Amino acid sequence: MVKTLVFGYGNADRQDDGVAWHVLHEVMRRNGLDVSDDLDIECSDEVNQVDYLFLLQLTPELADDLKIYDRVCFVDAHTGAVPEEVHVEKVELGFQKSPFTHHLTPSSLLSIADTINHAVPETLLVSVRGYEFGFSQSLSSKTSLLIEKAADIIMNWLNQK
Amino acid sequence: MVAEKITIEPVTRIEGHAKVTIRMKDDGTVDHAYFHVNEFRGFEKFCEGRMVFEMPLITPRICGICPVSHHLASAKAGDEILGAPPPRPASLLRELMHMGQTIQSHGMHFFELAGPDLILGFDADPAVRNVVGLLQADPELTVKAVNLRKWGQEIIRILGGRRIHPNFAIPGGVNKALTKDERDAILAGYEEALETTKTALKIMYGWAEANAEDINKFAVFPSGYFGLVKPGNTLELYNGDIRLIGSDGKELEKFDPRNYLDYIAEHVESWSYLKFPYYKKMGYPQGVYRVGPLGRCNTSEKIATPLADAELKKFKQFNGGKPVENTLHFHTARLIETLYAIENVKVLLDDADIMSNDILNTCRDPKPYGVGVIEAPRGTLIHHYWMNENQQIEKVNLIVATGHNNWAMSEAVDSVAKTYIQGPDVTEGMLNRVEAAIRAHDPCLSCSTHAIGQMPIILEIRDSSDELVKTITRD
Repeated sequence: MVKTLVFGYGNADRQDDGVAWHVLHEVMRRNGLDVSDDLDIECSDEVNQVDYLFLLQLTPELADDLKIYDRVCFVDAHTGAVPEEVHVEKVELGFQKSPFTHHLTPSSLLSIADTINHAVPETLLVSVRGYEFGFSQSLSSKTSLLIEKAADIIMNWLNQK
Repeated sequence: MVAEKITIEPVTRIEGHAKVTIRMKDDGTVDHAYFHVNEFRGFEKFCEGRMVFEMPLITPRICGICPVSHHLASAKAGDEILGAPPPRPASLLRELMHMGQTIQSHGMHFFELAGPDLILGFDADPAVRNVVGLLQADPELTVKAVNLRKWGQEIIRILGGRRIHPNFAIPGGVNKALTKDERDAILAGYEEALETTKTALKIMYGWAEANAEDINKFAVFPSGYFGLVKPGNTLELYNGDIRLIGSDGKELEKFDPRNYLDYIAEHVESWSYLKFPYYKKMGYPQGVYRVGPLGRCNTSEKIATPLADAELKKFKQFNGGKPVENTLHFHTARLIETLYAIENVKVLLDDADIMSNDILNTCRDPKPYGVGVIEAPRGTLIHHYWMNENQQIEKVNLIVATGHNNWAMSEAVDSVAKTYIQGPDVTEGMLNRVEAAIRAHDPCLSCSTHAIGQMPIILEIRDSSDELVKTITRD
């Protein structure tokens, strides 16, 4: 059976930056899983072989964790750098330098995974437009309206096994 | 030639806004370079009104790289404010978690952030001068490096129940004892972690020898140094007194961290949102100091574990026993501390109290305020809370390592820019050296942010009337 990871990341304390947390919850609800208010998500749907993970940011050692998955869906926020409110793309290998920070992109993580595991999972990035980034766990009204669409996309992808 | 201003600005989404401005003279030399940071005060406001016992769970969300430091500093402030000093086994377990944090953070910095510069070269093609390029150049080493960070994370996960934001330390102690199986699982990774770090130190020493010219002209300047020590001025990362030494190595102060406000003041510059802490008695800028690995290895006279202590002795000889002023030796100091943290994991796991169930002091003797201080990987971290009669937080003061090192980062950027940049035709390698001056301090600027797409460096060249001459964007 295909093993899948739905991997959201962002800062759930910074309003729309944490939109992936809300998207994961919506997908988990649709799949009959329990959700809680915990800002970290790490749970498994053993029947469908889908794991759900939400972390504050991507870090290099996560590349090692990717080796057990056939498919990974990254879920993130964006600030309008891409035109679509819910942007979908396949993640390509690549490295993006972040000179002052600990920032790591899905492409970079995938490149690390490719180098150490000699294999990469099939990937999808679903990036949802964020509008407000204050100190709150509640989404802005504009971003809230995008949750359903993002969840629809992920559900369709999950069902394409 | 017209005087110009060069701006290096990484575009980030929330709090990680920092940039470098380099002002050029008419003759093409650097007049002055500035490092600007947006201060992270919003989180302090966010905490007001929360219960004291919630703080160790809230404050780690400042950061995804050093959450454990905030978690533990917050718990320590909670111990003070509730008048509940933890039992010894709880302190040991907290320290063990802190070692995991130090190992993963320092390991990531050396291999993934500094390593590409050191191993592949400052002037290497930026397309390969990154962790992936490093992996391709030496796959075996870098797999071990990933494992080193993973081991540190695993210590945190075993104790805290989750890999990033632990739920472990609470005011008065911790909420979970260590089992024998968990102890053995941690010990299983000890030898490999030690060997990987020894290898890293060899790489660092080899690089330093081959690049002595860079080491000796790259942001070398005097300052004070600041860090926690145990009795005998022994390196300490979890709990001790703060020792402050001057640029000549002589002790200026040693004090209880709870009294930090008696010794530290903060200076404001018009060109940065981040304040500049300094030693009150000497004033600004005479009283500026450096924290983090370089600060700690300079303030400490010895290390409690043998391998790290031997390395510290070598470190002390870099400047004939006086404080080591070379910014690039932050990397050496960081590896010495990594070695200490790994050795200390074994020491802690061998302690007879480490698996005790006496992990929580439930007595309460509340006070109106409490201070928790810890040595985060990148420097001294201070959490100071004021509480009302309902045990709600009324006010929070956080001084983070990046703040302590603000002056040092600015000075390093200025020094490197003046040393390496001549005229407006700035090469990628020159630009990378300026960035490396900041990277050496391992600042935490945008740990909580991420962004789809590119995170470019925008380099703006402006004339003396601030008109934009050209823009260079580097991905």
